[in-house]
Amino acid sequence: MNADVTTTAAEVASLPRRSLSRFRPSPWHLVLIPITFVLLVPLLWMLATSLETEAETHRFPPVLVPRSLQWHNYADAWRAAPFGSFLVNSLIVSVLTVISTLVLCSLAGYAFARVRFAGRGLLFIVLMATLMVPFQVTMIPEFLIVKWLGLHVWTQLGIDHLGALIVPNLVTAFGIFFLRQFFLTIPIELEEAARMDGTSRLGVLIKIVLPLSLPALATLAVITFLDSWNSFLWPLIVVNSEPRMTLPLGLTTFQGAHNTQWSLLMAANVVSLLPMLVVFFAAQRYFVRSVAGTGLKG
Amino acid sequence: MTHLARITTAIALTGALAITACSSSKPDASSTSSPGTGKTVKIAVWEGYTDTEGKAFADLVSQFNRTHPGIRVTTLETPNDYMLQKVLTAVRGGSPPDVAYLFGSWAPSVAKIPSVVDLTSTAHSPEMNWNDFWPAEQQVATVNGKIIGIPALVDNLAIVYNKSLFTKLGLAPPSPDWTWDDFRNAAKALTDPAAKRVGWSIPADASEDTVWHWEAMLWEAGGDILTPDNSKSAFNSPQGLQATHLLRSMAVDDKSVYIDTTNSKYADLFNAGKIGMLVTGPWDLSGFTVPYGVQVMPTFAGSAAGHQSIAGPDNWVVFDRGNDRKQAAITFLTWLTATPQVKQFSLQTGDLPIRRSLATDAAFVGQMDKALPGVQAFIDNLANVKKARPQVEAYPKISLALGDAIVAVLLNKRTPEEALSRAAAASDQALSGG
Amino acid sequence: MAAVRELVRDRQPTASRVRVRLRGSDHLSGWAFVTPATVLIAIFGLLPIGWSLLLSFQQSDLLTPSTPWVGTANYRRLMHDHTFAVSVQHTIVYTALFVPATMIVGVLIAVALNRNIRGISLYRTAAYVTMAVSTINAAIIFMWLFEPSFGVVNRALGWVGIPAQLWLSNPDQALYVIVAMTVWGWTGFAVVVYLAALQGVPQELYDAAAIDGAGRFASFRTITIPLLSPASLFLAIWLTISALQLFDEVYLTTRGGPLHATSVVVYYLWDQAFNQFDAGYAAAAAYVLFMATLVITYLQFRLGDRYAHYRR
Repeated sequence: MNADVTTTAAEVASLPRRSLSRFRPSPWHLVLIPITFVLLVPLLWMLATSLETEAETHRFPPVLVPRSLQWHNYADAWRAAPFGSFLVNSLIVSVLTVISTLVLCSLAGYAFARVRFAGRGLLFIVLMATLMVPFQVTMIPEFLIVKWLGLHVWTQLGIDHLGALIVPNLVTAFGIFFLRQFFLTIPIELEEAARMDGTSRLGVLIKIVLPLSLPALATLAVITFLDSWNSFLWPLIVVNSEPRMTLPLGLTTFQGAHNTQWSLLMAANVVSLLPMLVVFFAAQRYFVRSVAGTGLKG
Repeated sequence: MTHLARITTAIALTGALAITACSSSKPDASSTSSPGTGKTVKIAVWEGYTDTEGKAFADLVSQFNRTHPGIRVTTLETPNDYMLQKVLTAVRGGSPPDVAYLFGSWAPSVAKIPSVVDLTSTAHSPEMNWNDFWPAEQQVATVNGKIIGIPALVDNLAIVYNKSLFTKLGLAPPSPDWTWDDFRNAAKALTDPAAKRVGWSIPADASEDTVWHWEAMLWEAGGDILTPDNSKSAFNSPQGLQATHLLRSMAVDDKSVYIDTTNSKYADLFNAGKIGMLVTGPWDLSGFTVPYGVQVMPTFAGSAAGHQSIAGPDNWVVFDRGNDRKQAAITFLTWLTATPQVKQFSLQTGDLPIRRSLATDAAFVGQMDKALPGVQAFIDNLANVKKARPQVEAYPKISLALGDAIVAVLLNKRTPEEALSRAAAASDQALSGG
Repeated sequence: MAAVRELVRDRQPTASRVRVRLRGSDHLSGWAFVTPATVLIAIFGLLPIGWSLLLSFQQSDLLTPSTPWVGTANYRRLMHDHTFAVSVQHTIVYTALFVPATMIVGVLIAVALNRNIRGISLYRTAAYVTMAVSTINAAIIFMWLFEPSFGVVNRALGWVGIPAQLWLSNPDQALYVIVAMTVWGWTGFAVVVYLAALQGVPQELYDAAAIDGAGRFASFRTITIPLLSPASLFLAIWLTISALQLFDEVYLTTRGGPLHATSVVVYYLWDQAFNQFDAGYAAAAAYVLFMATLVITYLQFRLGDRYAHYRR
């Protein structure tokens, strides 16, 4: 491809990104390996601790490699509390949160990016404002609201129900802002072409913008999943019974007032990380934009 | 597009079903009771017990539920550090638990909550046997003459030292006759920069943990935190300065103290032989892997106050969720704090007995010490807890001011005189409602 | 390179492009799109904020139901509060260091990860994993790394002859350790965002630049950076908002110490609400923070939107 400035946007969008250089060892490994190691240090430490005996975890200087691998820590941790139930609760909450976030933030983000409507600027600022007050201040009124909803709208939304964990997080201004920025990088000519063909706004969003935004959507999905999975303070405030607990709450069973059972806690933490690793891996191929075009070469 | 809409709707419906399915079959933790129909009264207890304590407490709860068919106790484990936030939010939202485990230092504030039950009459009932509780516990549970808590925990501070280290260095281990000068000398002897070892450690995160260590020393010097009527600070006194100067000399001049500003390292360092002595409580004993001994804190030579220690009792607080539930909660707490249950819990966990009579039960104390060496010294040390921290509303601000002062002295940022005057000024302002 | 710069600039639209617009239905469809999100955010975001604003004009201890109106008393008290002023100062210093550091580290790593060599999925996953490690674990590890007597950092410094530092125990150094800890923790986030944005940068631009004889650094400067600007704006704004609300890392390590050296606004107001039982005062502090964040974000938007390479 030569640098022809009249290349249409569609062609630009459909260009292959990188030539495959899988078969030659790249010098980049020399850079990436040390960086990866630095980034992975806590995870490695967690793994090491999870395989130590409790006595080893208290040793000083900290033990980096356990003398023998205490795999039983994983079974012990799992049995210490109903982790199966915690996992299921966390999964339900996180998956539903991700789905609703993707749907609602795509709609709103697109409107803020491409649709000129009255009050758009002001509304955007107002929504962004909700990101600027710390949770420690808003948690009490949120509690009151959720309690009211549980009593007057639907019990499942109220205190000590999973709905109370899901519904306040169905959408956040963060997701809207994030997708707005990405939608603004999509070539507008594609959208205009489709509109001229008579496609509705919604159609343009679904048929043109979203397919081109898979990396952004995958990224938002992963970030939202992560936030929801690790959420601690709100579930702590709102959950009053063990059957409703999510994983982060369940992990506190290893943290006593004065002593923490490190090896079991780390084992449970590693297990807690696994679904996220699965999500990362699954989302991998969406992080890199696929070569598919939109079929709209002009 | 319709395809996508169908998928979305399907997922949303599944989601709604999932929420309902997973929640509806579980009984509500706290349902209202109907008076006099013989239905089971359910009460919710929020506490932070984990590990051994968690098991011991769960055992007691199932015992209670079995032997009291009209009441059903459910428990919720919430980390103690977060308990106040959760309770306050719940209180504000109108749905507090029936019983909550709350730190004693929160008592003056907790007493102001309208739904907190006045337990004065309960406390003086014959079953409760209030006088069998330690004075420190009684004081912490009482705010302005009103009793708002049933004792849940008692502890105190004493010296825990590394026996083998003392032997190796040929030092005389701490004895009941020790003065703080003896302690200081031992700390100096234990300190060895080449071996990266220091004499002792002090929590220096400026929290109440820092403050109460210093307060015990203040009392031993013969000083007091506040005036008897709790209207002004009294710690900026020769006694207060004596205690503070002692800390300063060890931290700054001798460099024999590990200043643990994140308050998390001392136990591991002690186990590694890098710290020779600790001033800590019985909760740490089970985590020590070196041969250790327990000894009372030293006295100040020339002080009439002699041996003093400080206790940090915690309370079970009852919230009013209706008469039936209130009575059930009181029944539960009365049973829980009765001597047989206290004995069972203490033996299982190593926690100090909250009942005084058990301290004179030689067989019990012997059993405790066998299971957890050194705990007898802590039980005996309860007799040295003669004073208590003032249960005034302004105490959190006083604690903040004192914490700052002590850490500033330890880090050599302020002189003891400067530090204590500033703290006194701030405390007086807080006490006068400023 | 001039040709490449033209290419990059030409991704901005010219005024003469035909616009398709059906004016009336724009408002309707726009509002239809934002309504579900707006309703939810209004209920769970705006209502609590409004409630907190009211609280800032009251005296509340979260214990007794009586919350007398005190007007602007809380705000006036804040203006004379030395610890609050110190907390504001620390928050500003922290933000000014954290945001650029995270963005720079993030973009460099993202560019390194944006290639198709063998094992790249593993490297990428490693970057994401930093996001997954909870703040508690990160805090514990960093406290050990920076432990004055035995931590790895001081040991490494010892090899090059630098004396051991007190780090978290030193009021002059503690905040910088927290910067390091949070930059590390947020790197994964920045990498993920930049990686997604890099997918929108076509290879042909780099090829053209290579033909023109531009080196790697030059094309990074003239192609990558400008085309990443929407993502950079997003990160700058989001990281700033997060930095201004720093709490967890301080709570888990230094609790605002030593001697308030790491006291930041949100930690200070949390302490006021739950340790000093002064919730109205905490709400006032939160509102001062809110107004500052709003102004800063607005300025970032105004400046950023003008220069960001959007496809308008």
